[in-house]
Amino acid sequence: MNKCTDSDIQELLPDLLHGALDEAEKGRVEAHVATCESCQEDLDVLRTVKSAAVFAPSIDVDGVVRQIPPYRAIVPAVEAPARTRVASWLVAATLALFLVGGGSVLMTRQNSSGTSVKAPAVDRGARLAITQPSAPSRVPVATPNPKTSEPAASSHPHALALAAEADGLSDRGLVQLMNDMDTFDALPGSEPDPVISVDSGDSL
Amino acid sequence: MTPSPEGRPEETDMELIDRWKAGDSRAATRLVGRHAQALARFAASAGERDGIEELVQDTFVRAFASLDSFRGASTLRTWLFTIERRLMLDRRRAERRTRETVPVQEADHVSEYGALDSLIAEEAQERVRKSLDALSPTQREVFTLRVQQGLSYKEIAEVVGSTEGAARVHYHNAIQTVKEFLRDE
Repeated sequence: MNKCTDSDIQELLPDLLHGALDEAEKGRVEAHVATCESCQEDLDVLRTVKSAAVFAPSIDVDGVVRQIPPYRAIVPAVEAPARTRVASWLVAATLALFLVGGGSVLMTRQNSSGTSVKAPAVDRGARLAITQPSAPSRVPVATPNPKTSEPAASSHPHALALAAEADGLSDRGLVQLMNDMDTFDALPGSEPDPVISVDSGDSL
Repeated sequence: MTPSPEGRPEETDMELIDRWKAGDSRAATRLVGRHAQALARFAASAGERDGIEELVQDTFVRAFASLDSFRGASTLRTWLFTIERRLMLDRRRAERRTRETVPVQEADHVSEYGALDSLIAEEAQERVRKSLDALSPTQREVFTLRVQQGLSYKEIAEVVGSTEGAARVHYHNAIQTVKEFLRDE
């Protein structure tokens, strides 16, 4: 059997089956099918598929209709501005909440970072002082800076005492001080630790 | 307007929709009665086995809930097929997830359907069903919409979210496969 090459006719065969062609087209397709074995076979297959529609249960129409909610028209556009006002209040309230909440979080982070970031800076300075004893001016805690030393001092009792006494230390005293600092607990104890007294050079 | 069997001109879908919006519940009954079986057949042809009634019901509930968005650019039936197809896809995704967790239930389900199907279905129906099973999901959708529902390629493209050209190709490939399957049987 020769395969039909008229794809236009082939595509119209389902329409012929459903009676969806106008008279002129119907006549053209039928005339072609009469002489084309391939299209005759296609049409037979389509008839089989259409008539042997796969089993489907019959639908309880009233049951379906009972489940359909009553019609509710879309809210008229006149009410739109009122909804917009409500929405803008909601947006403003949400923004305010975020700002207050975000600010609190930032402040909390700043407070906590004052302890955790600056304390290791002192430690790094100590190590630098040990490896480079001839360059005392590069040790960060040797040059008191009220902006940096104050929060560190207030966060730990040892640091409070150290900050007060670090001013008059020699290089050796400073190294000793840093070594002592390495032995401090990472977290403050429940009771205040005794203040470490550092005499310049005598303890080494 | 198509004449009804009684000779009265039959109301169009759009007219029935307007009547339902105006509070006439009988219009909903007419609309559901007009399209329900086509939706059930489409679901069955697309491979749905269980819960076809529920699927059809969900389709109508969703459609009626959003009838304001139906502008009549396509026919109501095409629009309903589109909604039903989306629901079927959602269902299959959910079933796939269930199957992954409870494989035993799926096996029970298949054997149950097989027994029921062989009792109910005629030989020709069985052959056609098998031939449709040989198609890819999209080919099967396109083919059944074209042959059993008589939709145009444009409408089919709308339902399956594709193009007319792609729908034609799917139809062409599908009929070749079905023809070979039925010939070999």
